[in-house]
Amino acid sequence: MPTPLELIKKKRAEAVSRIIGKGYLSTKRVYVGMATCEIAAGSKDVMEVFRKAVSLGLTDVYLSQKGCAGRCNLEPTVEVIEAGKSPIKYGKVDTTRAQEIIERHLKKGEVIQEWVID
Amino acid sequence: MDNKKITITINDQQYKVDAGQTIMQAADQCGYRIPRLCYHPKLSIEGACRVCIVQVAGMKNYVASCAYPVADGMKIDTNSRELRQARRDIVELLLDNHPQDCHTCERDGNCELQRLAYSMGIRHRHFEGERKHYDKDLSSASVIRDPDKCILCGRCVRMCSEIQGVHCLGQAHRGFNTVVMPAYNMPFAETVCTTCGQCINVCPTASFVEKNHTQELFEKLNDPDLIKVAQVAPSVRAAIGESFGLPPGRNMEGQIAATLRRMGFDYVFDTQFSADLTIMEEGSEFLERLQAKGPLPLITSCSSAWMKYMEQFYPDLIENISTAKSPMSMASAMIKTYFAHKIKADPKKILSVAFMCCTAKKYEASRPELDVNGMRATDIVITTRELGWMTKSAGIDFISIKPEKFDEPLGLSSGAGAIFGVTGGVMEAAIRTAYELYTGETLIDIEVNDLRGFKGVKEAKVVMDGQELRLAVAHGLGNAHQVLEMVREDRDRFHFVEVMGCPGGCIGGGGQPYATANSIPLDEECLKARASALYGLDREKTIRRSHENPDVQRLYREFLGRPLSEKSHELLHTHYKAKLPRGIVSPNLKVV
Amino acid sequence: MTATYRIIVCDGTSCLNSGARTLTTVLKAQLDKHGLTDKTTVSLSGCLGMCDKGPIVVVNPGYTLYGSLTEGDIPEIVEEHLVKGKPIARLAIQEDHLYNRFFRVFGDAKFFGHQMRVTLRNCGIIDPESIDDYLSLRGYEALAKAVTDMTPQQVVAEVEKSGLRGRGGAGFPTGTKWKFTAAQVGTPKYVICNADEGDPGAFMDRSAIEGDPHTIVEGMAIGGYAVGSSKGIVYIRAEYPLAIRRITKAIEDARAHGLLGENILGSDFSFDMEIRLGAGAFVCGEETALIHSIEGARGMPRPRPPYPSVQGLFGRPTLINNVETWANVPVIVLDGANWFRTVGTETSKGTKVFALAGKVVNTGLIEVPMGTTLRQIIYDVGGGIPGGKAFKAVQTGGPSGGCLPEQYLDTPIDYDSLAKAGSIMGSGGMIVIDEDSCMVDIAKFFLEFTQNESCGKCTPCREGTKRMLEILTRITEGKGQAGDIDKLERLGKMIQKASLCGLGQSAPNPVLSTIKNFRAEYEEHIHDKRCRARVCENLVTYEITEKCVGCGACRKVCPVTAIAGGPKKQHVIDQDKCIKCGQCFKTCKFEAIAKV
Repeated sequence: MPTPLELIKKKRAEAVSRIIGKGYLSTKRVYVGMATCEIAAGSKDVMEVFRKAVSLGLTDVYLSQKGCAGRCNLEPTVEVIEAGKSPIKYGKVDTTRAQEIIERHLKKGEVIQEWVID
Repeated sequence: MDNKKITITINDQQYKVDAGQTIMQAADQCGYRIPRLCYHPKLSIEGACRVCIVQVAGMKNYVASCAYPVADGMKIDTNSRELRQARRDIVELLLDNHPQDCHTCERDGNCELQRLAYSMGIRHRHFEGERKHYDKDLSSASVIRDPDKCILCGRCVRMCSEIQGVHCLGQAHRGFNTVVMPAYNMPFAETVCTTCGQCINVCPTASFVEKNHTQELFEKLNDPDLIKVAQVAPSVRAAIGESFGLPPGRNMEGQIAATLRRMGFDYVFDTQFSADLTIMEEGSEFLERLQAKGPLPLITSCSSAWMKYMEQFYPDLIENISTAKSPMSMASAMIKTYFAHKIKADPKKILSVAFMCCTAKKYEASRPELDVNGMRATDIVITTRELGWMTKSAGIDFISIKPEKFDEPLGLSSGAGAIFGVTGGVMEAAIRTAYELYTGETLIDIEVNDLRGFKGVKEAKVVMDGQELRLAVAHGLGNAHQVLEMVREDRDRFHFVEVMGCPGGCIGGGGQPYATANSIPLDEECLKARASALYGLDREKTIRRSHENPDVQRLYREFLGRPLSEKSHELLHTHYKAKLPRGIVSPNLKVV
Repeated sequence: MTATYRIIVCDGTSCLNSGARTLTTVLKAQLDKHGLTDKTTVSLSGCLGMCDKGPIVVVNPGYTLYGSLTEGDIPEIVEEHLVKGKPIARLAIQEDHLYNRFFRVFGDAKFFGHQMRVTLRNCGIIDPESIDDYLSLRGYEALAKAVTDMTPQQVVAEVEKSGLRGRGGAGFPTGTKWKFTAAQVGTPKYVICNADEGDPGAFMDRSAIEGDPHTIVEGMAIGGYAVGSSKGIVYIRAEYPLAIRRITKAIEDARAHGLLGENILGSDFSFDMEIRLGAGAFVCGEETALIHSIEGARGMPRPRPPYPSVQGLFGRPTLINNVETWANVPVIVLDGANWFRTVGTETSKGTKVFALAGKVVNTGLIEVPMGTTLRQIIYDVGGGIPGGKAFKAVQTGGPSGGCLPEQYLDTPIDYDSLAKAGSIMGSGGMIVIDEDSCMVDIAKFFLEFTQNESCGKCTPCREGTKRMLEILTRITEGKGQAGDIDKLERLGKMIQKASLCGLGQSAPNPVLSTIKNFRAEYEEHIHDKRCRARVCENLVTYEITEKCVGCGACRKVCPVTAIAGGPKKQHVIDQDKCIKCGQCFKTCKFEAIAKV
């Protein structure tokens, strides 16, 4: 019988491989804030824009939701994490900005400075 | 409780007290009386009013002495300048949200808040502002609810749920808008309120009072066309003295008879007579069921609050309930038939007034199934409290009046009829008669001690001709709930069950005199004294068994025939039906 | 910010003492030497919680943590790591602490620099609806460790040793609570999570549950193991539908993975959880009221003792902790009480989450080590007061707390210092107030809240707060009387000391603290009929200035025709007619109407 501690480590390894299976190691990861406050600020629509883009062929992007990181006055927030680069956090993202982020950042690799939260 | 002795300091003096008690209990032992309001020894600790606060050394805030346990070495201050002001301010805050109509209030002179305000030394007001205002609930036949006078001590809520198990009352809304009400603020008449009136007994103010029928009675007493007939319940005579400053437990039946005649009654009868009559009917009913093997157990039906409780929560036990009417309704039925015939009067011209220790009897009197020949049997019910006030109002010197006797033919009673007013009394009275009817022998040792006393549920065994009878007695509806659950579980467990709706039986009824400045509501010592008055009355009588009452015998001879005769069934028995609480659809739903 | 490298130097007290500032100077010189200044940012952060390994430098991207550095190490880091792109394994800290996840993503932003995310370590990092995400970040390892390597007594001892105190507000030592509950014999026992967050403007618990629900589940399971309970209940307000959905899903997922239920992870320990919804009464955050509410009774507090640890839910021993307290538990178990004790102050260990709101640039949810000063929170994390306005006060502890003025800004955040300053830690509400707010009005706002939310059981709270509110209302309406301040203080002090529960005992705090710190404002309202912040309508006079162009807009909206004036002429308000409704002020496009 494995100990509970051994079991949980096994479970972790399985979880990690499932996450990787979902494309976690894609070159770009996008996180959309989906707490009540973010949703109230409009993040559901933003999420929808990204979801659509992914389904329409943005295959190298791993899309996920996340909880509240605390930036109340800048919500909705979207993070773009690229391997080997500092994470980029965009604030006050609406559907237009989301579209722009997809076109310019995700497709062309251009960071849209004026929306970045520092 | 822990028997260990500990040392505490109260106001710089050391005392040795029992461990395991509250500061208030310990202080009581040491000669202090910390002011208090929501506290009641029979109810759970609420800690709500904050009048009994004390300062315990080392604690930042005051603690409620009713709730906080003593500990060895504890230093307690009960009377510092700061505490006195805080306590004073707390009581003033209660007054600020209380109608200032003391001089026209039912409880004027007998109000705990008034007494407290006086003793706190509130002579000026600092914080007056908005006051709450709600409508009175006048819907009930028995109890009036006046939320304006409520100070939210929660005693009625706890009484109704913890002692009576009815859970009709609760606090609703928040903060300043908090108010005690039945669920959804339904009119009382449409709720599960059993009209027992215990909320009135424990209310420190006049937030609960009985529906007052004294004006109506005074009016009718002036009607020359009416024949005014009174009946007086056993427990009224044991308690009415308290309304005139006498200690509890004085039998005042002679004074009551004399008073009622001076008030304008033509005949004054004794409900103890009809208690004897009840025993004849109920005892016979019991024997009949015993021989026919059921349905048993037989459960008594004298208590009106209990009957409503049963119809609401235990309709599955209706077949076990004695069909015999209560002594009050039997007396009223006889007044409007047998007696009316005897004096050759039109029963419609008879005003039948019952003086009762009970608020629920006001409700019972209004039940249509108790009508006799299309007439209300009991026209007016007056509580002990109301009688006290009427006597004073009519200018009658109750204390020094020369005692008089009850009138015939419904005035003579046995000792068994007297003890009806105490828990266990109906059972004891029934055994005295049933034993003789069953065995043909006279029961010699007639005082059944196992059925006496104030234990919540009492069980006893009696052997009749080799037949063992298992008996149970419950007083207070919460205790009744316990016994009835036993019955539900095992119908063969008991043969006979007595239930009284109020703690102590009728002597603790919802219509009895208010506690005085030096006592507390439903104080057990007070109940014991009232009980001993009735037991004393029993002992003084030469006739102590109902069936030996010559006037009862005459009634059967001249009018009813025999117990359970057709005429008896018509006039002395009734029936009950399920009255499920609102929202409850199945009678099988158990009360938890 | 497109710098190639972003470097963080820990600026916590301990690192400062071991020479962090000198390191920074050396670092900047080295960057200059290699021409990297333009491509690199260097920022200072608050305590990173690795005080024993200070000074600390973090290099991003990649989140390389360098510890125990000396000045001599700096040239090597710059040359090898920054120039050649080869991190130096010898100097890097390999430890994997639960709490430090957050900085991999957020450690470089100004807003997060002074924060330390322990309970919120996964919030904003993981997908809260994915148990895989949680598992991948060592989720449920603390629970596994507890049931594998520790006895229940050891878990209790660890929590006790950590110095963790209740995060719901009162700060009662958590370990003591656990010990009392564990000491009770017999079953069942209950474990409750108090998620009945009710302070106006506070959303710490909601965010924590929405962002990382499994942490609560894991914390409670550990609590159940420690005190001998197999039943956990999360009492959460019905107004938090998303949090409810996520914690419900978390419980279901945990159950499906064998992390809740019978024989967890093959051990002898069984534990399951359910959700109970609160109807939104503020007082149900008080533990005895909460228990009554779960039992199906009206949510009203009762006197203590007996405490819930002895006689709680359904009369059984009950361990009840706040959301944030529970969230600390897995960290304490996994990273150890010794580590936990390194964060915070002497009497208050660990971190505290605050909902930072009001007149501050960065409003938001923050978590800082205990001992961080109010000034650091407001100016470093919060970014200061917007619009060039002057700071006036900071309100902590929500409606139970107090308002602290400028002179208390250097008060370190911990239970005892805040209490000494005249406020409380509370559950984490923090509202920054600038010169545009009236302190009497603020006090009135909070008292109105507590007065409405009083359960109505005890006299001081039910009746006393009402009278206080009446007095405050008349003061703000310009009807204040001499002696009113004394009355407020007399009532307030009585209510504090005589009320049944914490709600009543703390309800007067906003009033008493503003009287103490802003007495002059009260006096101006009462005696001079003046509100210096021009908030109290009845004490404000509207006047039309020379900026008026005579457009007539104000004249048209005035409901009592108090404004007169012709076209292109300066209008005038008839002060006798004016009812101070403020319509003209709102309508004027030329800022020509002044409140005086």
